[in-house]
Amino acid sequence: MPPFKDDQIIVIAPGSETTLAQLGLPESFTPARVRIRSRMFPAEKGGEFEPYKIRRRQDKPVEKPAEQDGEAQGEAKPATAGDDDIIWEEDRISEEGAIWPIQDGKITDWPCFFALISHVYNTLNPPFHTAILLITQPSWTPREHEKLTQFFFEKFKTPAFGLMDAALATTWAYGVHTATIVDVGKGKTDITAVSEFIPHVQGRIISLSGSGGEAFTETLHFKLKSKGFNRDICEQLKKSPICEILPEGTPLPGSGKADEEVITNPAAAASTGAVSSGPAAAAAVGNAPRGPGPDTEVGEEDGGENEGVLDVASIVAGGKMNEYLAKKEKEKQDKTNAKKKGAPVPDANKPVRLPNSKREKATFLYEDHALLDALKNTNLDTQGMADAKAALDEGPTKKASEGENSEAAEANGTGEAASATSRSGHIRREMEVGTERFLAGSNGTLEKIADAIHRAISSVDEVNKRSELWDSLIICGNGSRLRGFKEALLQTLQSKYLISPSSATIFTSEIPSNISTPAGTGANTPQPQLGPHGGSGVNPLLFAATTAQSQNLMPHGSNPLMPGLSHNAHSSHGQTPTSIKTVKPPEYFPEWKDVGFDESAFLGAQVAAKVIFVVDQGQSKGYMTRPDYNDQGPQGIHDYSL
Amino acid sequence: MNIPNSSTAPTAGEYAGDEVSAIVLDPGYSTTRAGFAGEDVPKSVCPSFYGQSDSDSYLFGENAIHSPVGNLNTKNYWGSDGIVEDWDAATKLWEYSITSRLTGARAGDPAKNGLNDDPRANGESMDVEMEGVENNEKPMEDSPLLVTEPGWNSAKAREKYIEIAMEDWGVPAFFLQKTGVLAAFASGKASGIIIDVGASHTSVTPVLDGMVLRKGVQKSPLAGNFVSQQIRQTFKTASPEIPLTPHYLVKSKTQVDAGAPANATYKTFPVAPSASFRLNEEERVLTEFKESVVEVWPGPGRFTNGTNEEIAKSAPGRPFEMPDGWNNIFGSERFRVAEGLFDASAALTSEANPRPKDEWTIPRLVQAAVQHVDADQRPLLLANIVVTGGSTLLHKFNDRLNFEINAIYPSTRNKLIAPGSVVERKYAAWIGGSILASLGSFHQLWISRKEYEEHGASIVEKRCR
Repeated sequence: MPPFKDDQIIVIAPGSETTLAQLGLPESFTPARVRIRSRMFPAEKGGEFEPYKIRRRQDKPVEKPAEQDGEAQGEAKPATAGDDDIIWEEDRISEEGAIWPIQDGKITDWPCFFALISHVYNTLNPPFHTAILLITQPSWTPREHEKLTQFFFEKFKTPAFGLMDAALATTWAYGVHTATIVDVGKGKTDITAVSEFIPHVQGRIISLSGSGGEAFTETLHFKLKSKGFNRDICEQLKKSPICEILPEGTPLPGSGKADEEVITNPAAAASTGAVSSGPAAAAAVGNAPRGPGPDTEVGEEDGGENEGVLDVASIVAGGKMNEYLAKKEKEKQDKTNAKKKGAPVPDANKPVRLPNSKREKATFLYEDHALLDALKNTNLDTQGMADAKAALDEGPTKKASEGENSEAAEANGTGEAASATSRSGHIRREMEVGTERFLAGSNGTLEKIADAIHRAISSVDEVNKRSELWDSLIICGNGSRLRGFKEALLQTLQSKYLISPSSATIFTSEIPSNISTPAGTGANTPQPQLGPHGGSGVNPLLFAATTAQSQNLMPHGSNPLMPGLSHNAHSSHGQTPTSIKTVKPPEYFPEWKDVGFDESAFLGAQVAAKVIFVVDQGQSKGYMTRPDYNDQGPQGIHDYSL
Repeated sequence: MNIPNSSTAPTAGEYAGDEVSAIVLDPGYSTTRAGFAGEDVPKSVCPSFYGQSDSDSYLFGENAIHSPVGNLNTKNYWGSDGIVEDWDAATKLWEYSITSRLTGARAGDPAKNGLNDDPRANGESMDVEMEGVENNEKPMEDSPLLVTEPGWNSAKAREKYIEIAMEDWGVPAFFLQKTGVLAAFASGKASGIIIDVGASHTSVTPVLDGMVLRKGVQKSPLAGNFVSQQIRQTFKTASPEIPLTPHYLVKSKTQVDAGAPANATYKTFPVAPSASFRLNEEERVLTEFKESVVEVWPGPGRFTNGTNEEIAKSAPGRPFEMPDGWNNIFGSERFRVAEGLFDASAALTSEANPRPKDEWTIPRLVQAAVQHVDADQRPLLLANIVVTGGSTLLHKFNDRLNFEINAIYPSTRNKLIAPGSVVERKYAAWIGGSILASLGSFHQLWISRKEYEEHGASIVEKRCR
């Protein structure tokens, strides 16, 4: 009888951007059921936190609107107002003034982090006898593990608690024992070499700052600042399917030619070049072309209009909304007229559609949070609010887009699909961008990560493990969802670090000078020369050649779980990498296949939870029980965590 | 999973109920190791190199020192004599290595944890408000600290160690131990000769019953960095000269024939990274070269003796590819670069690098060390020759060492103890410290804060021998 049942297990994976959690392990493992943005809002009382922004709503228009920003309102004491017309309402969308307790993987604000975990726990609302498995970020120190242990046992009175390293969890998800995990997060990348289920602590790249999804947003922002794009727009552009990293050497559409000096590996380009291949593209296929979506309306808007429109928020805040709405209405009319003329059946897919990488311009829908906040601050009544929203929303036929957008959101990891209410409040606007959308990775981020991977693997002490580690890269994390990122990273690695078989070892240049060229009779054919330590008695030339290339010749991946199948069994060792490959994601998790394996750490944690809590009935000491905690205190956790 | 095996830490009950969670700090020239006592590997291994920009701010950690930023000088806090030179940087770097991976920064804002403070400003402000904020400023007040030191450390430097630990970090208890003794402990020996070939120095330490024979401690600068220098010189004197281009300069490379000039695209920087940065990055390439190409001539005889060089020439060469794609096969040169460790006359010399002294070579160091030991103790020591340090991982190093020692002291009882696992070889001193600090019986040896306050820093001379 296992100590816990499947439905009595909580898995929590905190992240800088999104915290994943789930109560109960389903028959077939699913992506996390609960996704919560990793942020809290300071409550009225210092040191306490609220999961949603609390905003003061006033039904009467007040004298001094607009200037008051959200924070000032939050701080205002109700006592001073004292009137009945102040109602506090939860604003589930706004993120103004939020505190993000995890920065670059590190917990920077512990009270806030604990509040977040409590919120997650309450959201799950578990029964009393529930075990908890927490995924830990690599940058958390042992002391912090103890702190967490203490918190979980004392706050939630959990009967059992376990910690699992995020990188290790990823290997569990993939079912491999040796792999290099490249976890691209929000503001950082962690790179861990895991061999035989043991993460290498030395030389692990922890929290390589400025190399996560944020870096891409920053780059886009930098490139598009002149066009009036703000950070928020860039963030959403990054998540939209039109933003991608093109394989190196691919010409930007419109520019006509590739950078001449770039030398690409033709094989790599072939494998990554096709936009319509690969899982990312496959996922996007379902979203993009359906209905009059963003991608189908190419070039119907001119850029000039956009520039004027961008700062709607300030227009609204400035009280000129009505004028603007009238203008907007007119534009809409014009547009529909144009559409009617131009494309009689807008719902059908256009027969000839260029792939994204060939188009110079593309549009996407942008959810204007700033505008929404500004609207709220103008203190409209409910009806006025709804009207304004409807008027400003450019999203095509609300109902249809609702479904489509939330689907796109899932695929692109906005992580806001948590509650239906939170979605309906958005105001969508259409934006158009040029080729800048392909330049998200142009800032050296890829090279930075590639170099870090090289360092991480080079610091693995067991030299003969390295080639295997190079052959089993796992690129995960939501920062890696950017289309084309994985392929581009692989290509960068290949063009910079791959060791090609040296021509010197192919019998051409290294025939020792004391041997003459073989004669036709075979008389002068080189004989095996044994040095005093020449070893196994093979032809030294053959030996040299095979040492350099043995990794290439060995078949890989036939049985990755079979231990002891070392690829580089020579006592001496060659340079690595001679080949670079990624691990294929497992195929037996249908629910995960659709959304991608970027959050595979969570999947791995479910597998591990099943194993440590249920299958082996607590034999493996993979978790700490309440009595253990009472005996040993928080320090004891180090004996139990995976 | 926690199925106990040879490499898992013992359970709490097995080592006298150790509840102190002491921290062991083992600073070396190449890396600084830190971790909790009782564990089998240091959890925190960070480079001893650090970056310092023009504005005097320090940058620590692997990620920081490898990113090519202009105006950043890569430095090391060790002096050329193997004693800490830049105490300010050392203190900060050690603190970084402990707080970043072990304890975590103290709760609160980073402006107060001492890492971001200007050293001078910090010192002044502390004098004023010592009482009130003291507790927030000390990063390690609940962990006793064991620090390792080189065998030739000066008395002044030793006092500095305890001052840093007690005054700056506020540790409750402190102890200082020599790396040689700890490396012996890691191999389970109380007596022996410890040959430690590190990055900047090679040292030979005779240890008897857990005590270092101070007179016998020998050191020389022929170590890992020396081999690097020899490799550089090999590259430089080759014709045509072999270019040493570190990774950060290369954008992408293409395959070229062996020996042909590299055909790569290079990166340009708005502000070129400093020369010291480049030197450190080149070291990465050289490390790779040492790992995959360099081999110690295993004997019999020296490399330059008789026909040995001819034999080496006919042995298969090893290919190496540079970050820029240049590649070739290395034949007898690959033996040559490490030969200087054993045979000073074989070292490659230039004007800047004169011929090393004969007494610097490893066999002579061992000889000198053994000379200082009573004759009747020598067989005991020679039966326990502990080999440690990252540079001993050079291919066939032990074969050669074995040959050299047997040539000086012919005996069948000479025994090299070289841990097979790379981790144990590299971090032997740390592991020894981890064992020592977790022993229940060691607890009475700690220098407590009270004792320090009573006797001052000089107590370290009396207690830590």
